[in-house]
Amino acid sequence: MATSSAIPHVLSENVREAVANCNVLVVGAGGIGCEILKNLALSGFQNIEIIDLDTIDVSNLNRQFLFRKEHVAYHDSITTVEYGVNFYKNFNLVLNALDNRIARNHVNRMCLAADIPLIESGTSGYTGQVELIKKGLTQCYECQPKPPQRSFPGCTIRNTPSEPIHCIVWAKHLFNQLFGEDDPDQDVSPDTADPELAADAGKLALSEQNNSDGDVQRKSTNLWAKEIDYNPEKLFNKFFQDDIKYLLSMENLWKKRKPPNPLAWAEASSHEGDSNMIIENNSKTEDMQVWSLSKCSKVFASSISVLKAELSNKNFLVWDKDDKPGMDFVTACANIRAHIFSIEQKSRFEIKSIAGNIVPAIATTNAIVAGLAVLHAFRVLGEELEKCHTTYVRQKSSSAKTVLMTESVLIKANPNCYVCSEKPSVNVSVNVDSMTVKEFETEVLKKNLNMIAPDAMLDGKNLVVISSEEGETEINNNKKLSEIGIIDGSILKVDDFLQNYELTVYITNYVPKDITEPQFIVHGNTENLRPIEEMNGGGKQDTNTKVEVVEPQSSVDDPQEGSSVKRRKLNPAEEEDDDLIMLEDDDD
Amino acid sequence: MGEKELSSIETELYDRQIRLWGIESQEKLRAANVLLIGIRGLGSEIAKDILLSGINSLIILDNGTVTKEEQLVNFLLTPDSLGKNIAKSVLAKAQALNPLVKLTADSDSIESKDEDYFKQFTIVISTKLSTDEIIKISAWCRNSNVKFISGDVFGMFGYTVSDFQDHEYYEDRVKLPKKRRHDEKIPKAEAVTVKVQARIKYPDLSTVIKRSKTGKMKKCRNIYYYLMLVLLEFRNRHKRDPFYTKRQEDLVTLKTIWADISKDYEVDSTMLTDEIFGLVFGEVVPICSIVGGIVVQEAIKAVSGKEVPINNVFLLNPLTYYGKEETIGIV
Ligand SMILES: [Zn+2]
Repeated sequence: MATSSAIPHVLSENVREAVANCNVLVVGAGGIGCEILKNLALSGFQNIEIIDLDTIDVSNLNRQFLFRKEHVAYHDSITTVEYGVNFYKNFNLVLNALDNRIARNHVNRMCLAADIPLIESGTSGYTGQVELIKKGLTQCYECQPKPPQRSFPGCTIRNTPSEPIHCIVWAKHLFNQLFGEDDPDQDVSPDTADPELAADAGKLALSEQNNSDGDVQRKSTNLWAKEIDYNPEKLFNKFFQDDIKYLLSMENLWKKRKPPNPLAWAEASSHEGDSNMIIENNSKTEDMQVWSLSKCSKVFASSISVLKAELSNKNFLVWDKDDKPGMDFVTACANIRAHIFSIEQKSRFEIKSIAGNIVPAIATTNAIVAGLAVLHAFRVLGEELEKCHTTYVRQKSSSAKTVLMTESVLIKANPNCYVCSEKPSVNVSVNVDSMTVKEFETEVLKKNLNMIAPDAMLDGKNLVVISSEEGETEINNNKKLSEIGIIDGSILKVDDFLQNYELTVYITNYVPKDITEPQFIVHGNTENLRPIEEMNGGGKQDTNTKVEVVEPQSSVDDPQEGSSVKRRKLNPAEEEDDDLIMLEDDDD
Repeated sequence: MGEKELSSIETELYDRQIRLWGIESQEKLRAANVLLIGIRGLGSEIAKDILLSGINSLIILDNGTVTKEEQLVNFLLTPDSLGKNIAKSVLAKAQALNPLVKLTADSDSIESKDEDYFKQFTIVISTKLSTDEIIKISAWCRNSNVKFISGDVFGMFGYTVSDFQDHEYYEDRVKLPKKRRHDEKIPKAEAVTVKVQARIKYPDLSTVIKRSKTGKMKKCRNIYYYLMLVLLEFRNRHKRDPFYTKRQEDLVTLKTIWADISKDYEVDSTMLTDEIFGLVFGEVVPICSIVGGIVVQEAIKAVSGKEVPINNVFLLNPLTYYGKEETIGIV
């Protein structure tokens, strides 16, 4: 027998042979990745390579010493040229153990391009999933549109919050306004362009005027904070008293809502005996209790002084859930605002979940999913790909007896998938007279369509409009799409050489009616392209733009958005701490 | 720092799981004292997962000796452990998984332990025991309200059986408030989470895993229940599990046992095929990973009193990887 005796004897001889001789790639070395590596090594796999996405996590799920390292070769990045399609072609099999959607999209595209079987796995809490992705045989990771991100109109955040999450989003924006990188989409001051105000024609005119004023004011928020040397009392009174008074003056907003109560620094800091002072359980750490109003104001002031000092030798700060003063600041501000709007206040622990987009993870589910992934690997190596049915780990409930559920057939590809179909295409509705080429590249091609380094050519004219080569098309960056000939009916041939991915983009001109509508709409399916009017009527939840997105703890995430900063970087290696979910609810 | 109170080191280390099961569950785990009987392939997986969960103490009981075969499937063993006691040999790597847990090895035999020994534990987890040993120990645990769960891996097949006695638990159910239809502008209240209490009475394991010769046992529709009985019977008779070097003779024995059992239970003997019997050799590591995860998830439920536990048998289909709960036995 040529094979090591670690290879399970119950496997057929051809599989045992393949286990000993194959090359496998594991992408990701977090909770699931380490378990997969251990299972592979203990099952007799000899040639294992790993791309470690270098996620630094204090949790107990990174257990790299679970496996013996002698057969494991390390790589530490994922979207670089060295790991192009030819790199993937070195392997018989790729196993994904990733924690975010962008990286998954990328590996999906690489394996499709290299025509290598990919075993995709993921967990969220008690649930998990393992599925085979193989070109021409199964659906790919991007065949089904992912559940929409939860998004909130800007005016809900700025004017009329009604849930804790609205206040938390606002508090993160406030952090960025005061200490972070300038971002016009993260204004925290009252929004006078609120469509609810537009019912009154006179006010509409006024709001347009104010809107431009508002811009001026926004730019000065950061400057003004510096001028007053981040005086906490002055900052507090502006955001929690003056701005709220201003909101109250927009009477239309409060006809059917409970109006907010402006709060002055003096009142808040001396606030005594409020019900939040009652401590339910002494054994809980400070994190678990809802802070009193006076504690919030104290933390507001103390965190500002720490952040101010941190800012003194940097251009801007980047918010991070694990950075104490930043997290303290957001907790305090979210709760003060919640108090003002009579919204339930939350503990720092809960706010961290929401603001940091933390998906709970446990070792047992990771172990189960990693076991299933390697069982799938045996089947792939035994050339039984048609038997690699998707398996789900489910939470036992009083009505569900099935803990591990396996599909009875392979899930077929979506023929209109804009990634794995024969000739991938997509429709983009966008205002060609207002969107710039740079915005199109960043917002549409990179953020929405998950490209890394796109080249775009205007069909019929052989004109390169976007190039991945530094400097080649920079002259186009600030031009509007229509200025370089991208108009209604234009066809763009887009090519991402890093992903070996070609996509035809059909352009439709579209003018959003107001700011609550998306800046652009991506339709994956050409056959179901609906008229724009219809989309506007019912398609708000598909909003891709404009509004901030923060995922609640339990929902399916887009890790790009939940993480600390707006997604600016496309390298998945830089996205962290957002364990994926790609699961259906338990339904039996 | 009080006995029950979690330190900030602990809340940070266990952050991801506390966000799933809550601080109360973590505090109960923190107070739990666990016995693990058997630290072979499946045992090593159980040890890992239970250590990572953040229990108070773990005793690993196994009087076996490290073999070359064992070193291949047990990631807690180092190359220098050959010929040594296996419980002691896993200590270093096991402790490294979680330095906060009080971990001890016990190289005594299971026969040397009397009823009193088991009273110190919150839960007893066993692997590789014979039917009689499972029944004896689980009965002792029952007398002292110590939760009990046992699991095994035979090749691609695995199962767990639990006795959580009279088990009270709760689950959080999210309820959405009724919509106020007429006035959408009123801020909608958040979904409320309600604690739902429930109780399961577990049957005594003697009515679950003991082969019935009376023919009066209720039939189980899941054929893998009978595979479990066949394999336990093999272990009872031979004091070992089916092994690939004796594959041909072991297959004959397995089929002979099955012929008896299928007659006793009046079930169709063609249901367990040669293909299935061919899959029961050795402890297949990914299967250990799966069954270990199930065992420990159930142990966590038993200790924390949160979430619906499996009542009372879990069977892993070796062909499809379906994993189902079966409720077997007489309460
Ligand atoms: Zn697809």
